[in-house]
Amino acid sequence: MSIKEKGYTHWDGELESRRFPWSPIMRSGIRLTFKKKFFKLFFFLNLIPAVVYLAGIYISERLEDFEFMIREASMPFKVNPAYFNSFLSGDYLLFMIVMILVFAGAGLIADDLKHNSLQLYFSRPLKKRDYFMGKTSIVFFFLLIVTLVPGLVLFLMKLIFAGNFKFIQDYPWLPLSIIGYSVLLTAFFACYALFLSALSRNSRYVAVMTFGMYLFSDILYAIFNGIFRKPAFALMSIKANLQQIGAAFFGVKLPYDVPWMYSFVLLVLFCGVAVIFLSRRVRGVEVVR
Amino acid sequence: MSAVISVEKLSKWYGNVLGLSDVTLDIEAGITGILGPNGAGKSTFLKLITGQIKSNIGTVRLQGETVWNNPSLFARIGFCPEQDAFFEELSGKCFLLHMLKLSGFSGEECERRAVRALETVDLTGAGGRVIRSYSRGMRQRIKIAQSIAHDPDVLIMDEPLNGLDPLGRRKIIRLIKEFKSEGRTVIVSSHVLPEIEAMTNQIVLIHQGKIFAQGDIHYIRDLIESHPHMISIKCSRPRLLAARFIEEKDVIDVRFHEDGEMIVETNDRDSFFGRLPSLLLKNDIDIHEISSPDDNLQAVFDYLIGS
Repeated sequence: MSIKEKGYTHWDGELESRRFPWSPIMRSGIRLTFKKKFFKLFFFLNLIPAVVYLAGIYISERLEDFEFMIREASMPFKVNPAYFNSFLSGDYLLFMIVMILVFAGAGLIADDLKHNSLQLYFSRPLKKRDYFMGKTSIVFFFLLIVTLVPGLVLFLMKLIFAGNFKFIQDYPWLPLSIIGYSVLLTAFFACYALFLSALSRNSRYVAVMTFGMYLFSDILYAIFNGIFRKPAFALMSIKANLQQIGAAFFGVKLPYDVPWMYSFVLLVLFCGVAVIFLSRRVRGVEVVR
Repeated sequence: MSAVISVEKLSKWYGNVLGLSDVTLDIEAGITGILGPNGAGKSTFLKLITGQIKSNIGTVRLQGETVWNNPSLFARIGFCPEQDAFFEELSGKCFLLHMLKLSGFSGEECERRAVRALETVDLTGAGGRVIRSYSRGMRQRIKIAQSIAHDPDVLIMDEPLNGLDPLGRRKIIRLIKEFKSEGRTVIVSSHVLPEIEAMTNQIVLIHQGKIFAQGDIHYIRDLIESHPHMISIKCSRPRLLAARFIEEKDVIDVRFHEDGEMIVETNDRDSFFGRLPSLLLKNDIDIHEISSPDDNLQAVFDYLIGS
């Protein structure tokens, strides 16, 4: 029997317990996204609505001080579930979320496909599920910071400015609505970003598709609605569908005359298709047929 | 010796294209060279034994455990793929740290191992540069570094010497041999035969998706009866020696080249070499050079695949 040497580093320790094997993917993804040019600026621009809505809450509690501002207002200024709905499903926030995806989501899978790095992930003790968890968690991290966190902060600030618990007594389900809608919004956009990112190896194309698909769906709705005057065409618009579901979550009047369930089913279907596509598209090595 | 990797009836198709067909073999500890021309099925074989792709038929076991869909096993495998596979925007060191974290090491251990792996492949000075700016050789070395950084029991390398300069090649060959001397298993694929020859005599020859031969190169050569052994001799009295050889039963042919080289073809190499010293002494012949031009990997390869 030959004598075996010990030349290279031989490690007798134990590997870390891996409750979250996807966490290195998340950490590295977040770090790399923050390194991108202008991303920090864009990201903080997303917090503008939160600041404006916070000012609104403050004003609502000090109406007598700001009477000169709201005297001309066509509707009574009131903080209620519709106020939170308009924050979370407002045009500006949804648009800025898409912009975050352009920066943070486009390269998530496209870059791995481009650089053949999927096989590096899958030659490690990592399941496909962990890979998706890691990638999804990057989107969740950025989007929850601009939706859930300010949503809950606004709710808390309302209580603090009011100095009593009447608001929570009136709307005890509101925190759940904020959490539920923020998570749903984020989950949809995570599927949206990963699906598009897996379509191409070029993250620039994906960035254009991410922005274009969102915009195009809305333009399509506007065109068809303009011609046929049927609100059902709102189902073609990503934004309109998200706003429908938002209205349902916050118990306010639906912005489009279509059952919100249709929008919900459509988005769930989209996510389902995205998951199936991703599980087929993402594999350790590219198989040439 | 028990097999580290056991492959049983392994087959893989890509649509209508056959990747690998009914492969059964055992690979033991040490260095095994996977040989075959381009498109033979080498990379498919490596991807199957690293669990990167699923076989259509058959199983792969590593140290007794099924490889497919068993990621926990991958902590024991180091895989260096043929194509470039990086996170280009990371620095070499960050790339290694990331890969080590994915393997489950703690932050401190990752740092220590990344530094060590960079040292091993001579990239310490370039560890802080982004991979995008690396030369071809550096990219190859960082790829090798990621495959060894987590100290695997089984190292699987697909064309590991591609793009390396001669010094780099020698260093990596030495590293691979070190792995062998530690009792580990290294599987190296290449279509450049001298590269494999410099590392090991144990080969698996794949052609058209099938295993053509497996084992020691010289042993395989002996088994190829359809091609007699060629022995090249340069000596002081070639014609006299040729006359003596031709009397022997196992000698089939003797030819002379212009430069005085004599080529003898024999069916029984062992008895040929057994007789040679006494023949030389008896006839007072001085030998200048003796070699076996077809007792090497290239010849074995050519004979087996019929090229």
